Amino acid sequence: MLRIYCPYCQEVRSEEEFSYAGEAHIRRPEDPGALSDTEWGEYLHFRTNARGPHREMWVHAAGCRRYFNVLRDTVSYEILEVYPMGTPPPDDTSGDRA
Amino acid sequence: MGAPGRLPSGGRIDRDRPIPFSFNGREMQGFAGDTLASALLAHGVTTVARSFKYGRPRGIVGHGVEEPNAIVDVGEDAGTIPNLRATEIELFAGLHARTSRAAWQGAVGPFARHLPAGFYYKMFLHARGFPTWERFLRATAGLGDVPGGADPDTYDHLNHHCDVLVVGAGPAGLAAALEACRAGARVMLVDEQAEFGGSLLAEQGTWAAEAVAELESCPDACLLRRGTASGLYDHNFVTVVERRVVEPRSAPAGTRERLHRIRAGQVVLATGAIERPLVFANNDRPGVMLASSVYTYLRRYAVVPGERLVVFTTNDHAYRTAIAWQEAGREVAAIVDARPEPSGARVGDAVRAGIDVIAGHAVIEARGRHRVREAVIAPLDGAGDTLAGPSRRLGCDVIACSGGWNPTVHLGSQTGRKPVWNEGAVAFLPADPGNGAAWAGSAGGARTLRECLETGAAAGAAAAARTGHGDGRVSRVAPDVEEPSEGAERALFLVPHRRPPSRAPKQFVDLQLDVTAADIELAAREGYESVEHVKRYTAMGFGTEQGKLGNVNGVAILARALGQDIAATGTTMFRPSYTPVTFGAVAGRDVRGFFDPERHTPMHGWHEDQGAVWEDVGRWKRPRYYPRDGESMRQAVDRECLAARDGVAILDASTLGKIDIQGADAAVFLDRIYTTGFLRRGVGRWRDGLMLHEGGTIFDDGVTARIAEHRYLVHTTTGNAEAVFEWLELWRQTEWPDLDVYCTSVTDHWATAALVGPKSRDVLRKLSDDIDLSRDAFRFMDVREGRVAGVPARVFRISFSGELSFEVNVPAHRGREVWDALVDAGGEFGITPYGTETMHVLRAEKGFIIVGQDTDGSMTPGDMGMDWSVRANKPFGFLGDRSLSLADHLREDRLQFVGLASADVVLPEGAPLVNARESARAGPNQGCVTSGYYSARLSRPIALGLVRGGRKRLGEILHCSLANGRDIPVTIVDPVFYDPEGAAQDV
Amino acid sequence: MSDDPGVVLHALSPRGCLNLRGDLREAGFRNATATATGVELPLEPRTWRFAGDTAVYWLGPDEWLIVVPAGREADLERGLRDTLAGSFSIVDTSGANCFLNLSGPAVGRVLQKSSPYDFHPRNFPAGRCVQTVFAKASALVAGQADGSFDLVVRRSYADYVRLWIEDAAEEYGLARR
Repeated sequence: MLRIYCPYCQEVRSEEEFSYAGEAHIRRPEDPGALSDTEWGEYLHFRTNARGPHREMWVHAAGCRRYFNVLRDTVSYEILEVYPMGTPPPDDTSGDRA
Repeated sequence: MGAPGRLPSGGRIDRDRPIPFSFNGREMQGFAGDTLASALLAHGVTTVARSFKYGRPRGIVGHGVEEPNAIVDVGEDAGTIPNLRATEIELFAGLHARTSRAAWQGAVGPFARHLPAGFYYKMFLHARGFPTWERFLRATAGLGDVPGGADPDTYDHLNHHCDVLVVGAGPAGLAAALEACRAGARVMLVDEQAEFGGSLLAEQGTWAAEAVAELESCPDACLLRRGTASGLYDHNFVTVVERRVVEPRSAPAGTRERLHRIRAGQVVLATGAIERPLVFANNDRPGVMLASSVYTYLRRYAVVPGERLVVFTTNDHAYRTAIAWQEAGREVAAIVDARPEPSGARVGDAVRAGIDVIAGHAVIEARGRHRVREAVIAPLDGAGDTLAGPSRRLGCDVIACSGGWNPTVHLGSQTGRKPVWNEGAVAFLPADPGNGAAWAGSAGGARTLRECLETGAAAGAAAAARTGHGDGRVSRVAPDVEEPSEGAERALFLVPHRRPPSRAPKQFVDLQLDVTAADIELAAREGYESVEHVKRYTAMGFGTEQGKLGNVNGVAILARALGQDIAATGTTMFRPSYTPVTFGAVAGRDVRGFFDPERHTPMHGWHEDQGAVWEDVGRWKRPRYYPRDGESMRQAVDRECLAARDGVAILDASTLGKIDIQGADAAVFLDRIYTTGFLRRGVGRWRDGLMLHEGGTIFDDGVTARIAEHRYLVHTTTGNAEAVFEWLELWRQTEWPDLDVYCTSVTDHWATAALVGPKSRDVLRKLSDDIDLSRDAFRFMDVREGRVAGVPARVFRISFSGELSFEVNVPAHRGREVWDALVDAGGEFGITPYGTETMHVLRAEKGFIIVGQDTDGSMTPGDMGMDWSVRANKPFGFLGDRSLSLADHLREDRLQFVGLASADVVLPEGAPLVNARESARAGPNQGCVTSGYYSARLSRPIALGLVRGGRKRLGEILHCSLANGRDIPVTIVDPVFYDPEGAAQDV
Repeated sequence: MSDDPGVVLHALSPRGCLNLRGDLREAGFRNATATATGVELPLEPRTWRFAGDTAVYWLGPDEWLIVVPAGREADLERGLRDTLAGSFSIVDTSGANCFLNLSGPAVGRVLQKSSPYDFHPRNFPAGRCVQTVFAKASALVAGQADGSFDLVVRRSYADYVRLWIEDAAEEYGLARR
């Protein structure tokens, strides 16, 4: 059972209040029409599926209903960092991502 | 009958409060403070069970959670609680306990003893025999009686938050909790026993009682007794099962068990240690017990479980058992110490007390069929592998064993960090659990009481400091404890015999599942190397006690068989739960009516009064139809359908999802979300929209109305309301934060009554004088605001039925009032309430889809014949737009939405369709039926479905194969069955 | 019913509710709302304020719930729309919200049974409010000066929540007002 800091409510809350919302920092292509089927498929379906630190989105569904980013270790489940939407990813120490 | 084992004085029992009970039908009497086990031992009950596989007599071995043999069922019928440990059952008046029966014995009896280790797996290798064996195995699985009927007891959950959670209230736990409390932290202390104190409950001192008193005076300390910490999960989430009602009973009374869900800043694991038995021949005979258990029965329960004792030990600690036994006025035959030169202070005490200490020896075999009668002892060689001399016999009826101590590492290991073998400690010591948890006391490897108190106090103070309370220093050192000096212990697991394990009398490792040293050696010979594999192959540690006694001995025996050391062999993974947890505790109150919440519309009570038959739609209760005196569903639905087509009918549509969208960019936002265009829609108008996943498939559909220049009201399907709302927020917050738009759910704010039928205008006119309802002033697709029955309302001219129809929306707290007024006003027109079934028939007659019924998550707008709703050339495009041109979405043989006509049978939803000329079962699938109804208006069945390339196959005949084996011909037709010109709704 | 109830459940009459959204960075947003409602917007997360019979609850960094006596919401909405400029949203949610008050010596236990949120006075003194999970529904819970708790639940869940509270409070003795 995770306990997650909500950057908007500014306190640690129980996992029951949150929903997972997928990998973070996957920007929707500006002009989907300009992409090949393959490129569009990459955007649609392909995810890092990292073992270790993973940047992902959560939404405080039963609380303030705000989305935010979390850097979570998928092995230890430790939450290493929480930061708001629109913030660029903090320096990545895991070294496993482009 | 008397209780020969009960001492005249001492112990923590209350001799003034006798308690009658029965065990396997025999009436006995114990005292308040007894457990079932201590009371049985007081009465000299030796055999409490027959073993699982071999049917051997078994007695009580332990005094707590580790007990493998004394497993009993308590209670009657539905109130039966199976598989309880007699060592943990507090005695209560009227307790009727009986030995939990292994189903195995009833099924196979004497054959069981011929089943070797790995029996299951050997059977599975030969698939041909499996079906036969499977039936046999199913009949034999499990232990204890399954209660009959529904559980009469209730269970619930309670959430907790604390700075410091201390698990275990022995000396270390008490010291930790005290220090954390003194530092000002919110502390929670849990222990599985009815009394705090742990091992101190068998001692004379007053410190434990004083510590508990101090904790009880702390306002922010939560003390929980009879609570077993069953799991330590991520982020210090701990579950504790509390036994609240000891007596089972047939009538519900309060909560029997409560699952505490604790979120702790820091966790101190002071879970103690369990003594390790020794593995020797016939070590399962009743009378072979743990030395610490014998000591506890003597000192805590004033019970002496026999007349003549042999202590068999590898360490000093067990000497206290012999001394206590002698103090109880019984005879000690000898202390058999595996160490050649025992040297600690307690050794001296025993010798001075005149106890015969036989050093360098081991008990190699117990003799006696139903009870130990003598111990066979022999000298050990230096390595402990062979016998160094002739054996002799000691008469005795109890053999108290101590092979050292196993720290109770389970909880900390559940986080995935395995304990590590420590040669010096002769034990698996727990790894640092990390993440704000810490070990204290003997669970962490402390050897002496002083060490337990010190490590506990230090862990408590440190944990408090990490949550911002105190400076981490211990405030008050625990009392001075006189600590006898201890000699080193000897590592001994499997005691050698004159014959090898395969031919010696059985040397048990796991008493509960009858796993022997020979079984483990056999597994090693057959090639198993991983301890996890050996565990599964032999079933070692698979019983309800999960290897608490036998695991480490099993690992040591495996290590020797493999010729490696114990550290390299390692231990098995511990997973939750620490002890068995009832299903009731897991379910809590989330049963029956609380299993899933029921959502009610404001008109719920009215539907109830009308005798509506309900349909569950998501969590909503919706009327499915309203049967009148004796009507069948078909009759009721036919009547409701015809009322809607010919007169006027009314539907509670309050469950539709509704989202209020405001902001200067509201139209831009909706244009991106929907396939449809909103920019040019005028205020006071609505239109349909389809919402796609980025993959191009249909997610939801609904009507969106422009309420004001920068304000829209979005409708979603009932089941998708929450998902659509999160979807809108996802895009608004993550991709397009620059758009000036806000979304607010108003599903619960509006009550909606759909007034349907040619006479609906007449009804509404009676209740509204400020909305011009005429055909030209209030056109199809218009939205108007005004008053209905005096209540501010928003009225949509809309139709999901194909008839003239108005949807009246009013604030929900006035919904019932307006509904009543509409029904009242409709009386003269024969207004008929209708439910979801009629709604489905009416829409199917018109070929309107239901997302999630006629679509399955893979359907595009084109598949559903809804290209009309897709507006190309929007400035931004829309979500899913790009995917519509993927090659796979353009295939001509995709499943397409069509109507299906059959002669006389209503086609069942989900029925497969095949080409007519082929046999129905063999032919390639051509699609399926998604909706099938009887149309009262058309006097024939109608159906909707998905057919490969269906739109170009109108008129073709397919076969539909029914569950009863019948194949019936169906014709592919246009999905609009009724009024294709749309004349009926435009009046 | 109990003579010495551990928990008192008070079903409150309907109130007027407005859901207010807006951007605090916009000049005048705070002042305009304060003028129209008579209550300073609570800016600190998880707090609520009141003045007279108007209360304002923090729901999120750009979202507040304004509660007034029933029937006053329409006038207040007009007043706010006249005063506010720029980016904002006002939605009448009077029909959506049901109000309950829970009090009594065992009220904390009932909350512990119902929610994973920490309602201990150290964490949740009077003047706090929080949106959280409540049984299998959700609720806005506000701590009152008298130690009681106001609950705002969605109307469609209100029957369920009432039944849940009655069940949870039974062992402590429940009185209904």
